[in-house]
Amino acid sequence: MNWGEQVVLGLLLGGVYVAVGLGFSLVWGVLNIVNLAYGAMVMIGGYVTWLLFTHTGIDPFLGIPVNVVVLFAIGYALQYVVVNRVVRAPFLYTFLITFGLDLVIVNALLLIFKPDFRSVTTWYSGAALSVGPILVPYIRLWSLLVAWALAAVMWWILNRTRTGDAIQAVGSDRDAAQLVGVSLSRTYALTFGLGAACAGVAGALIATYQAITPTAGEPYTLQAFVVVILGGLGRVSATVVGGMLFGLVQVLAQSAPHLGAGYQNAIAFGVLVLVLLLRPQGLLGRAV
Amino acid sequence: MAAQPEPDAGQEAAFAVATPAAARRERILLVVAAVALVLLVVVPLTSTDQAQSAGLPLLVDRYWFRVATIVAMFVVISAAWNLIGGLAGYPAFGNVVYFGIGAYAVALLVTRYHWSFAAALAGSVVAPAAFAGLIGVPLLRLRGHYFAVASLGVAVAVGEVINNLDYFGGASGIFMPIVRSDLLFYYLMLGAALLAVAITWVVLRTRFGYGLIAIREDESAAAVMGVNTTVYKIAAYALSAALTGLAGGIYAQWNVFVNQDVAFNIDVSIDSILMALIGGIGTIWGPVLGAVVLEFLIQTFSGRGDLAVVTQIGLGLLLTVAVIFLPRGVVDFLGGRSSLTLAYVRRTLRSSGV
Repeated sequence: MNWGEQVVLGLLLGGVYVAVGLGFSLVWGVLNIVNLAYGAMVMIGGYVTWLLFTHTGIDPFLGIPVNVVVLFAIGYALQYVVVNRVVRAPFLYTFLITFGLDLVIVNALLLIFKPDFRSVTTWYSGAALSVGPILVPYIRLWSLLVAWALAAVMWWILNRTRTGDAIQAVGSDRDAAQLVGVSLSRTYALTFGLGAACAGVAGALIATYQAITPTAGEPYTLQAFVVVILGGLGRVSATVVGGMLFGLVQVLAQSAPHLGAGYQNAIAFGVLVLVLLLRPQGLLGRAV
Repeated sequence: MAAQPEPDAGQEAAFAVATPAAARRERILLVVAAVALVLLVVVPLTSTDQAQSAGLPLLVDRYWFRVATIVAMFVVISAAWNLIGGLAGYPAFGNVVYFGIGAYAVALLVTRYHWSFAAALAGSVVAPAAFAGLIGVPLLRLRGHYFAVASLGVAVAVGEVINNLDYFGGASGIFMPIVRSDLLFYYLMLGAALLAVAITWVVLRTRFGYGLIAIREDESAAAVMGVNTTVYKIAAYALSAALTGLAGGIYAQWNVFVNQDVAFNIDVSIDSILMALIGGIGTIWGPVLGAVVLEFLIQTFSGRGDLAVVTQIGLGLLLTVAVIFLPRGVVDFLGGRSSLTLAYVRRTLRSSGV
């Protein structure tokens, strides 16, 4: 494998990490909640895609709007009913409550779908575009484009709409936001819903190249952490950079001499700890 | 955008001014604890051959030993986490790394260097403390979420490195010579649990403990007041690591086998934090109560198939409800100042919710 191919593969993989990181970053940045149930939400997205594909034959990429609607509704409801009650508590309590949600979601998925591997294999799953000597799998390419589109939509919502203004206002000073008439609980629920919708999109992308199981979402919670910290908290552009970079690090680490796939996590987290020590606000983050 | 975590009002319970009523409660609690301890030491002796041939009733079976030893182990790990997470306010999410280092220290010293198990246990205290002292220097400069994530990262990374090196037995792990004695491991874990509680008790009554609480409440203010925050934090972290490592070392010989999954299981970290939180963080008895309650629930309801899955859902719901309704932990709730009335629930909701 040559380095050029590795870089391309890394950037393609990075697309998925951008999608994974966007929702996590939004919820963390605005609500100050590190959502440990995020990976489980990604898997709900994966199952939505699988259900649509196997029962109605809807293409995983075309079915993404359904993922967005379903996950937004779940996220909105969860925040409104449960998470809003601890949103001002010290962050350990939000860890605890989202961990409880994670247990509930993962095991509910186990009850409904059983621990079997489910995969979504489309007619173009094995096909690849050849660019010179490099083979670019179509599903990876579409995933990257969808992730960028998602980032653009999120940027537009946050920076060009009234809802986005409300979310940003709550993120920077919730008391002041409340004073000028922003409904806190509604904005929190909207933010959490948007975050969950991003998880739903990420789940759809992941379902196209990886088997889905109820517990397969777990690593994505940790990886979302790394992506957000790499890029910096609370900005769409920072998450895009963090996600792409993390994809690169993952792929390059796997192909580095004497290391191989066994050290994938160690290298990722090594990078994470280095970034935290040298530039804790992330590569593009504002000073904390 | 990332607001600093707000100081926790509930933690004040840990060092509330002693009123006569509180002092009386403390005395009653100590008597109860002493009686419980005597029972915990004496009752298992009925399982010895001598006691059985003397016709004493068998009050404990192998299953009881298993559960009791695991509960004691989680008392150690949870109380150890409480030192850094509860007292100093640095929520280490990767303390399992010290459990793992302790476990591997015993496994390596016993199998590769033929140390006795007792001598190897010393290694399971020293090695994690030394590692924590070193990694703590950069790690403890981070705060809040960042510290939590970085400590988690260290745990994942160290586990993976050990899993890949032949010196540590690689992915196939290390088997140790079998030591068959339910009593021995039970007493060792019980002793370690006592040690952990005693250390917490002592720390809470010394300058060191007050320094840690000062750091938790306001680190800059603590530094201005003359607390050497760096040294205090690293000392608390190393102490926490030493106790966690001891539990890991005992566990390794008890389990006879270590590998990455056994020694660096992140669930151990998460569970021990949940226990401290449910019991009441920053308190002496919180981790003990939390470990007993939660581990007992987990062990009792762990079944097979769908039942296990439903149990996990119940556990998740329980956690969610517990955080909403008893955010200050069971110790605060049982502290006598409040009963489970609507007013209590409303008050805790107000102090924690929107």
